[in-house]
Amino acid sequence: MVGRIHLFASWRVAPSCSGQRGVGFKAEARMPAYAGCAARAIALAAMLATAATAASAEESIFAFVYTTDLLPQGKSEVEQWMTWRHQKNGGTYDQIEGRTEYEYGLASNLQGAVYLNYAWTQAYHNGPFNATTPPEQFADYAAGADDFFNAKRFTGVSGELIYRILSPYTDGIGLALYTEPTIGKNFFELENKVIVQKNFLDDLLTVAVNFTYAPEYRNVPSDDNPAVFNWQEETDVNVGLGVSYRFIENWSAGFEFLNEREYNSFDFSHLSNSGYYLGPTIHFGGERFFFTATALWQMPWATVHTDTIPGALVNHLVLDNDFERFRFRFKAGYTF
Amino acid sequence: MKASHWVWLPVAAISTSAYATTYFSVEQAQRAIFPGASFTSTGKPNIWRTSNGGYFVVERVVGKHEYITVAIGVNPNGTVKQIEIMDYRESYGYEVRDASWRAQFVGKSASSPLELGADIKNISGATLSSKHITDGVKRVLQGLKG
Repeated sequence: MVGRIHLFASWRVAPSCSGQRGVGFKAEARMPAYAGCAARAIALAAMLATAATAASAEESIFAFVYTTDLLPQGKSEVEQWMTWRHQKNGGTYDQIEGRTEYEYGLASNLQGAVYLNYAWTQAYHNGPFNATTPPEQFADYAAGADDFFNAKRFTGVSGELIYRILSPYTDGIGLALYTEPTIGKNFFELENKVIVQKNFLDDLLTVAVNFTYAPEYRNVPSDDNPAVFNWQEETDVNVGLGVSYRFIENWSAGFEFLNEREYNSFDFSHLSNSGYYLGPTIHFGGERFFFTATALWQMPWATVHTDTIPGALVNHLVLDNDFERFRFRFKAGYTF
Repeated sequence: MKASHWVWLPVAAISTSAYATTYFSVEQAQRAIFPGASFTSTGKPNIWRTSNGGYFVVERVVGKHEYITVAIGVNPNGTVKQIEIMDYRESYGYEVRDASWRAQFVGKSASSPLELGADIKNISGATLSSKHITDGVKRVLQGLKG
């Protein structure tokens, strides 16, 4: 019944969309513009209500960190991701990455997925020493130090398998193994994770930890001669922590923390960058529809490592490759 | 519509709870579990004494997204007579409403294990709901005994 009260609240608020404040129902007759605003608010509220009622989901409670919750066997889900990366050393830098995903429950403890990945970016004087530097997903593109770089591309296709070994609901702690190969032009990556989940407070508080090992090959222009491309090795080794509490029915909120480390090798040697991100997360889960949003700011905890390039570290923030000052991810999904 | 109004849209989404399916009202669940019986309040919220000496209890347990309301009928000897799912609004696991799954609880007492995966079968895709319904029944039986 709480919902009815809130739906009523949305009706009451609608009139102020005409720019008037402190006007109630009685003013409706005097201000016909009201009616339109209120009607639109109610129509949108009704659409949301219909979508979520007809539908709620087996969903991503975090935007970056994975949990051990999987789709039941035979069930499907589509997800749309949007990740915005913003601001490097200086100048201008924005990148929006999109992922469109289809997930399927292959067995009660096994889930598969395929992704289509695409990205757009603009960069200008964003890199070390004010040079324009294409971000990592565009590392095979050439750009002059003073160019305004603007590009979009289909970055590749990914597959994903998650196998749950332990469930947090029946085994006390959740444990799952994850693998995700991605192939694109001049790029191949195999991302592997160990996912651990522990619930508290009658399962209202979810804590998840991810350990990621992701070796990748990139075919990039050589520093000496941009016309010559070389395949380079890189490994991302990440630790992620997500904590979220369901504070009201359907809604959870908490924080996510990431430590991402890049090695210029496959064997944990030649550490180039290590960045730390922290920020809030919010999640709505309905019967079939969900959305999750997380904003992360890089913490000023980065230090110089053996392969850190000059100028990549600014005020204890590492801003090389796919590190930036701020990132935001939004996921929405529908289960069927 | 001004930006300020968009903040109310998530609130409207919360409102969907009000329109979710309710399978039984309290009165309907009472009639389903104890046909022909009369009910008197025990003074405790959601616990009624039945005319045959049993108890009728409405328990709310945590679901994946929302609370699940469960009606539990208890015989005069402290064993479960029947349970009914009054509200269920999750993505999966509507099998918790199946008579065969609910029948597992019949005859259980406060001394029964009442553990998911032990004496109560899990439902794939609804493990959290299955666990919390099981825990809820156990909690009620132990509360009545105590």
